Amino acid sequence: MTQPASEAPQAPPPPAVTPPAAKAARPALGLRADVRNLSLLGVLAVLVAVGGITKPETFLDTSNLQLVLTQASVIGVVTVGMTFVITSGGIDLSVGAIVALASVWATTLATQEYGFAGILFTAVVVGVGCGLVNGLLIAYGGMVPFIATLAMLASARGLALQITDGKTQIVTVQPVLDLGVPDSYLLGVPPLVLVFAVVTVLGWLLLNRTTFGRRTVAVGGNAEAARLAGIDVRRQRLYLYLLSGLCCGIAAFLLIVLSGSGQNTNGNLYELDAIAAAIIGGTLLSGGRGTIVGSVLGVLVFTTITNIFALNNLESAVQQIAKGAIIVAAVLVQRSTLRNGET
Amino acid sequence: MSGITKSFPGVRALDGVDLDVQAGEVHCLLGQNGAGKSTLIKVLAGAHQPDDGRITWRGEDVALKSPIAAMRLGIATIYQELDLVEGLSVAENVFLGHEPTAAGFVVRGRGARRSASALLRRLGHPEIDPGRRVGGLSAAQQQIVSMARALSHDVRLIVMDEPSAALDPDETDNLFRIVADLTAAGVAVVYISHRLEEIRRIGDRVTVLKDGRAVAGGLPAKDTPTRDIVAMMTGRNVEYVFPDRPASPPDTAPVLRVEGLSREGEFAPVDLELRPGEILGLAGLVGSGRSEILETVYGARKPTTGRVIVDGRTLKPGSVRSAVRAGLGLAPEERKAQGLLMLESVTRNVSVSSLSRFSRGGWLDRGAERRDARRATRELSLRPDNPDARIRTLSGGNQQKAVLARWLLRGCRVLLLDEPTRGVDVGARAELYAVIRRLADDGLAVLLVSSEVPEVLGLADRVLVLREGRVVHTAPAGELDEHRVLDLVMEGSPSS
Amino acid sequence: MPEIPATSRRGLLFGTAAVSAGALLTACTSNEPKSAGTATGNAPAADDKPGKPVTIGFAGPQADHGWLAAINANAKQRAGKYSDVTLEITEGSNDTAAQIGQIQTLINKKVDVLVILPADGKALTQVGLQAMKAGIPVVNLDRIFASPQAYRCWIGGDNYGMGLNAGRFIGEQLKDKPNAKVIELAGMDNLELTKQRTQGFDDALKNYPNIRKVARQAAEFTVESGQAKMAQLLQAQKQFDALWNHDDDQGVGALRAIQQAGRDDFLMVGGAGAKSAMDAIKADNGVLKATVLYPPTMAASAIDLARALGQGKGIGGMAELEIPASVTLYSAVVTKDNVDQYLPTGFS
Repeated sequence: MTQPASEAPQAPPPPAVTPPAAKAARPALGLRADVRNLSLLGVLAVLVAVGGITKPETFLDTSNLQLVLTQASVIGVVTVGMTFVITSGGIDLSVGAIVALASVWATTLATQEYGFAGILFTAVVVGVGCGLVNGLLIAYGGMVPFIATLAMLASARGLALQITDGKTQIVTVQPVLDLGVPDSYLLGVPPLVLVFAVVTVLGWLLLNRTTFGRRTVAVGGNAEAARLAGIDVRRQRLYLYLLSGLCCGIAAFLLIVLSGSGQNTNGNLYELDAIAAAIIGGTLLSGGRGTIVGSVLGVLVFTTITNIFALNNLESAVQQIAKGAIIVAAVLVQRSTLRNGET
Repeated sequence: MSGITKSFPGVRALDGVDLDVQAGEVHCLLGQNGAGKSTLIKVLAGAHQPDDGRITWRGEDVALKSPIAAMRLGIATIYQELDLVEGLSVAENVFLGHEPTAAGFVVRGRGARRSASALLRRLGHPEIDPGRRVGGLSAAQQQIVSMARALSHDVRLIVMDEPSAALDPDETDNLFRIVADLTAAGVAVVYISHRLEEIRRIGDRVTVLKDGRAVAGGLPAKDTPTRDIVAMMTGRNVEYVFPDRPASPPDTAPVLRVEGLSREGEFAPVDLELRPGEILGLAGLVGSGRSEILETVYGARKPTTGRVIVDGRTLKPGSVRSAVRAGLGLAPEERKAQGLLMLESVTRNVSVSSLSRFSRGGWLDRGAERRDARRATRELSLRPDNPDARIRTLSGGNQQKAVLARWLLRGCRVLLLDEPTRGVDVGARAELYAVIRRLADDGLAVLLVSSEVPEVLGLADRVLVLREGRVVHTAPAGELDEHRVLDLVMEGSPSS
Repeated sequence: MPEIPATSRRGLLFGTAAVSAGALLTACTSNEPKSAGTATGNAPAADDKPGKPVTIGFAGPQADHGWLAAINANAKQRAGKYSDVTLEITEGSNDTAAQIGQIQTLINKKVDVLVILPADGKALTQVGLQAMKAGIPVVNLDRIFASPQAYRCWIGGDNYGMGLNAGRFIGEQLKDKPNAKVIELAGMDNLELTKQRTQGFDDALKNYPNIRKVARQAAEFTVESGQAKMAQLLQAQKQFDALWNHDDDQGVGALRAIQQAGRDDFLMVGGAGAKSAMDAIKADNGVLKATVLYPPTMAASAIDLARALGQGKGIGGMAELEIPASVTLYSAVVTKDNVDQYLPTGFS
């Protein structure tokens, strides 16, 4: 655990002490998915090596793994929903605002009186409700996703501010708070990470093993062809934005647990992080191809970068530069491996 | 131009074509769809580079490396699909790409408008306001704008691709007046049209293209008999092998009935009946409404009047899902844009209409999907016989088979085929014809649309001939020949 | 839309569920606390007797943050205390152009005095000058204009002093400990005030050679970022003695991260003076031992100054006839010993 990581360069991503349920499935799925995921695994391996070499004693230990995965779980859940939307050829710019609104609505004094269930229920229903509005506007109102979700971004943020009046809403419901502290870890796996893992697995199954997933890909690949093939494109789109809203609701609950509060500034720029993670993961921005494994790897890459930079006590300005550079590098690597792999 | 040759993968679109155009003449290009007209004018416009051949411009050999190069020489092209920017104003469109500049700045507003206005006056349309957005203009007005754009260059040769297709008779007259003005000023015009009557009115000479060759060049437009021209357009070097028709037409109840179906501005009320085992052909030119009829039957367009009945049940108008559920299947005209999921495998393209069949409570039975899709593709001898092959690596003919396999798998009862052999190379067509006939023999009803008359005549049992949105003739395919159909679609009257 | 009966029944069910959920939810937007914890009950600094009626225009940024919300609340409450003051308060905006427009409207309305908390001090200097030229005295609140001509009186907090006092407090606590380590959780790094707070803190620590700052990370004044950055800091630094956190709002997240990491081996000093922080200091059952004020009551004082300007008075307790040109507030350190005195000013 505290050895200097001289063997690191070839090392697979995080060490073998991985919490079993959370991580076990992922590398295996990544290997059989396609080359894009492999190249991203490579990036992650390089990052792990860098972290291991620069901060062997703090980077390569269980508590850091728990930390990275916990920090990844909120944006990770959002990214799973975003992956579906992008795969269908759409975009959801309102995810961050929905997370903010849901987390704020679920932590008002009135909601907190209903306890754990009230908070969870409100977060999820507000998320789904916003997704429903997005979906109706886009699928049946004929609005462009970019505009419809941009409008939702503005109104949800506004409503969140309206509810909080700019104040931080502290959560006092003990069972909710308890979920975020080490006492609640199951075999070393934080509940947040467990939720993230479950959402990832369900998302993967939904995209790759169900008719819903197949229709999503068809709509994104060629909406006109899908329509002429007899698929109800509009209903599919509605469901997709509902799904994204649902993920935002779940993420909002996780964020409430994580931060012990609700604030209208929550979820700031999640839309960009989620889109970036999905794209470097290999989901096509134009639709028709999506990978949950890639998206989750994308999120882990970003979270790991943040972690390494913080452990090395570097300024946030440098972090942002590095993040941008890594997006470009990952996409370039991906494209070249893709070209070599396919022709 | 001489000896122009241009090949695309699998197709030799132009094979040593010669064309000479003189200053001040209207030179007409005639030919059926696929004869190579579009390719030829794209070479002339610098949009395609010829593989071989020479282009001589005012006595000098030139290479038209790009549309800009062609434009600099004074060659302007007005395409059938107008290439205007709808969001910009008339004046902005006219001067797009060569905006009048002063000291490096684009001159906006009055100067450009005045010039545009002068051009529009010259074209006989002073009523078009140069400041209006092009998107708000009628099709005919847009065409005028397109022409104004061509004239805004110092132009010596104008190529017009079916300019009258979107115009009513008055507007057509105006167009001819403009053409006459241009030629009087020494400008050469290459004029492409399907309408023989127009060619007779304004044409000086005619070049007939067929299968990528110029079968006749420089014929006098006024005096060459219609019969000769039609013969030149239709006489074929490549004869397709069409499968045999069943001896007697099927005698079952119709599976598809269309009653009084119409769409305003596209086609007049149509009635038709289609029996299992029968192939019904719709013949007509571009703009005759054939694809529109097919898509309206399928519910992809909403009809103005009329209804579609399958097995006695009326379909919900304008609902593709209702049509698919009732057993209709469409192989669309634009296969790549409308039919296929280009990023996906053969299996997924075939199964996309039958997903619910493989659904086990939402889960996809991928084993059954693959097995059944493969059975369907094998039945149509789709090659390669690899269910995981990416659809975009397949040839046009095999892509079309994948679309047919999709509907075979779905168990559809009425197949609507829109230009089924477009983009399919010559050798593969016969096989596709055999497949279509076999499907009909197995009890499918087929409604076939094609702009290639021999294809309709060779494959269909019965033929409806369309002209400008109306059915002008119905007959068993055996009673028609190519000349007669071409007369019907071009002249509109059963003369000759 | 739904075409088959099964779907529409499903749709109906869903619709009903959605409506009832909606009804329940709308009841849940309420945030009325049992007791409203806003500003002061202390005696106003200026003369309390009603005088000439004064209309005060107040323009601030969007209150999307606890401290700014408290600014608005303080201004409104203070103005409400005076029967001779009418407060014209604009919709808050973070957009410079929008705020300029709002202030110009107030100028056109010919208010007697303006109180301006600019979204960006430098960018709004011109409109301050414009008001002064129009004969309307401007009280510039906190974020300072680029030119002294743009305001009659500036009142605001002391970011450098905040860092300085935090550093001094920590220094005194740790002065006998050899090789003491401290870490810093800063606010948004692209703001000038964050740099000033850090500078003050560093300067104070120079007086204590036994103390070394071993890590600094910047959060974004939000709970979420406070939690995230603090969690990383705790992972990076397995042992340290004190933490200086620039902002109590992000401190909510930081405290959560500390709780999640199960750490209690250091002392923490916050900043700004949120009620939740003061409650924790009073309870004295965690790492948070003090917070350095950046008091939102400055808005109440700004109203007092504006009223005095409008009525042509000075301030009580000063010999001058005129109010001062500049008032810098003291960043007091709130500890367990004096927290009761400051608790009423804590914001949420």
